[in-house]
Amino acid sequence: MNTKPKRFRIFYLSLFFVILYIPVLSVILYSFNQSPSTAQWTGFTMDWYKDLFQDRVIVEAFKISILVAVSTSILSAILGTAAAIGTLNVTKRMEKTINGVMILPLLVPEVALGVSLLLFFTALKLPFGYLTLVLSHSLFCVPYVYIMVQLRLKEIDKSIIEAAKDLGAAKWQIIKTIILPLIMPSILTASLLAVAISLDDVVISTYMAGPTSTTLPVHVFSMMRVGVTPKINALCTLILVGTFVIVGFSQFISKKSNQKESI
Amino acid sequence: MLKTKKIKQNAPVVPVLIWIGFLVGVPLIYVLALSFLSRDHLGNVVLEFTLDNYKRVVDPVYLKVFYSSFLLAALTGLITLLIGYPVAYFTANLESKKRSLAIILIILPFWISSLLRTYGWIILLGNTGLINNMLLKLNIIQQPLNMMYHFGTVLVGTTYMLIPFMIIAVFNSVGKLDRSLLEASYDLGASKWKTFFNITLPLTVPGIAGGFTLVFIPSLGMYFISDLLGGGMTIFLGNVINTQATRGRNKPLAAAFSVGMIVLVLIVLFIYSRVIRDKKEGLFL
Repeated sequence: MNTKPKRFRIFYLSLFFVILYIPVLSVILYSFNQSPSTAQWTGFTMDWYKDLFQDRVIVEAFKISILVAVSTSILSAILGTAAAIGTLNVTKRMEKTINGVMILPLLVPEVALGVSLLLFFTALKLPFGYLTLVLSHSLFCVPYVYIMVQLRLKEIDKSIIEAAKDLGAAKWQIIKTIILPLIMPSILTASLLAVAISLDDVVISTYMAGPTSTTLPVHVFSMMRVGVTPKINALCTLILVGTFVIVGFSQFISKKSNQKESI
Repeated sequence: MLKTKKIKQNAPVVPVLIWIGFLVGVPLIYVLALSFLSRDHLGNVVLEFTLDNYKRVVDPVYLKVFYSSFLLAALTGLITLLIGYPVAYFTANLESKKRSLAIILIILPFWISSLLRTYGWIILLGNTGLINNMLLKLNIIQQPLNMMYHFGTVLVGTTYMLIPFMIIAVFNSVGKLDRSLLEASYDLGASKWKTFFNITLPLTVPGIAGGFTLVFIPSLGMYFISDLLGGGMTIFLGNVINTQATRGRNKPLAAAFSVGMIVLVLIVLFIYSRVIRDKKEGLFL
């Protein structure tokens, strides 16, 4: 009697997951198609990938994207961790307020945030490019770092910190020798996620990019507007593989630190 | 003495709060101010108070843009709920190994470039796309179906992009359900459906409201989806802001539209806070 609904559940979930992944898989599949059109499959080729590495604009945009992502990640890790450690001893009400402010950049729709930053930075006469990209990207990466590090901080056994205090450790000593080592895996995981988030941003980067410094997603977007070519498929597939390597690596770190703890 | 200690304790947070305030608060206030300023005939902003920008915002042509954007965001919320609720509910009831796999499959798209996920639908729905190819080969249709560049195409794109948010929000809510309530309901002879509508559904309202908020807000601003899948056939707020701020060079008008969009977001957040009031869980705040 119970098997009929159960079968329906499995069927519904499977159908959902198939539809969820079909668009992604078709992009990957057609990056290997010889014909430049998706109208027919004419055979397997790696030519579109070779094409990418000869495209100087793409290589240049890729370099800028990586540079921005790494800088953003370092800046966000420092700011997010500082904020999370800072909320360790504040009152519940204060913590709520701080959480509210921290989440703010994620609550404003991206276009509105991007345009307001564009207008603001123009008024400040900041040069658009690397600096504005890093500033804006860290804006929406800090909240993630903050949330992840804060979750880890709450798991720390308070009695260790009390013990250190009783033994006369100064506050910065406690942070340096106890708290930081304990939250380091979370900081690393969060930084890697910040890299991935920064590498994926289109909307805000469109406004923040300078005349000579376009990020990869902004360039990909402008390519997509022109039309479908397997070169875009190949580029997207490479970005996908790159992101998965980063995310996989961050998962590896967090798993390893969990294992250490259980021993 | 106590006070200075407290200030010292809060010290590390202060720079970060200032930093966020500086990069979010100040630009938004600047945008608000800018939306009341006029332009000279060259398109430069001049310091002169005007309500013209807002008069243009409430112009019927632009009100329609607000309406389309609201409709898109609301429908995206509704459809992600209708499709996503069962996914979340079924996933929560899976045995633990299968559940972990399902959760990974739900979260994984977050790490796939949003451009790629939008582009995937062009590959599928285009005139020479995979769906048309297949239908033509199977002789179901003689002419390729025209599936691109409609309101519906954009809706498919936003729904596809944001459904993981809805599923995760509902999933968390279902996970927190007190199982003993469900068992009590069955013991008292209530049917499966009755239990669902009288107990499960009301208790997962915070998850639904949270998911709806998480889906509604981004779908207002993802103009690249409406650009790529809608081809500018239906104009949404995001597209108007984007065009006016960059190519249109009408910064005050872009600012006024941004303010309008943020007001829309605030209304949704207000409704959300009302819905989850008296309930202990919430996504934020």
